[in-house]
Amino acid sequence: MKQLFPVSHVMGFVFSLVLSLVALTVVFYDMSYAMGMTILLITAFAQASVQLLMFMHMGESKDKVTLYTNIAYALFVGVFTILGSLLLLVWDI
Amino acid sequence: MKIDNSLPLEYSTEENRLKILGFWIFLGAEIALFSTLFTVYFVLVNGVGNGPSPKDIYELKMVLIQTFLLLTSSFTIGLGIHAMRLGLKKAMMTFFIITLVLGLGFLVFEIEEFITYVHEGATIQTSGFLSSLFTLLGTHGLHVTFGLFWGTAILMQVKKQGFTPETTNKSFIFSLYWHFLDVVWIFIFSFVYLKGLM
Repeated sequence: MKQLFPVSHVMGFVFSLVLSLVALTVVFYDMSYAMGMTILLITAFAQASVQLLMFMHMGESKDKVTLYTNIAYALFVGVFTILGSLLLLVWDI
Repeated sequence: MKIDNSLPLEYSTEENRLKILGFWIFLGAEIALFSTLFTVYFVLVNGVGNGPSPKDIYELKMVLIQTFLLLTSSFTIGLGIHAMRLGLKKAMMTFFIITLVLGLGFLVFEIEEFITYVHEGATIQTSGFLSSLFTLLGTHGLHVTFGLFWGTAILMQVKKQGFTPETTNKSFIFSLYWHFLDVVWIFIFSFVYLKGLM
């Protein structure tokens, strides 16, 4: 039974739950917009990393360099699309 | 077909390795897809017109239930893949079934949430904010729905054929897909719901 629940996976799960709870504080405590967004950005990217690295076994493939490059490029495209659009259409700088 | 026994079964052949790499490239495209949907949402979130604002309609309880279901399902499918690598067919299948049941539970709550919104007069046609919200959540929900069918089909193959380089490869790729949906949900949870309720 015990071998079915590897410590790293259980820890990853607990870590995800804790990060979700930390993210929840932005709703329950009065804080500035900047502070809230900082907490959300940190907790969201930390949780995403747990999934990608721990659960999706990203680093164990022989193709890991190609793999990391591909995901980094996709993230670059994503972040640029989001921030670029906000810059042009919302922030009005 | 050359089988390398030093690697987990799902990586054991050249073809298997390339299929996993190919799926990661697909996930890269999925990141781009969801980024555009997030972009639309972030641009239109203040365009509420005469309709409700995010604060008016988001219900924290519903969101937390969905988050917990999907987060747990991502954990159980991880355990499923771990069991698969140990060669434990029954445990692997049990974990996959739990995953699919949790996924179904997630979907039930999401549909329930959509029905509540529509009853409150918040439909996809009400405002720019709601159009973008339903498109983003709907696309994610559609991915989960598709995953339920895909996962069921893979379970049937594992049950019939046991662990072969093919079935383990399919199961592993499905687990990547499922974890990815959880990753997308983390961002929806943080930047749609929590930010909206902040």
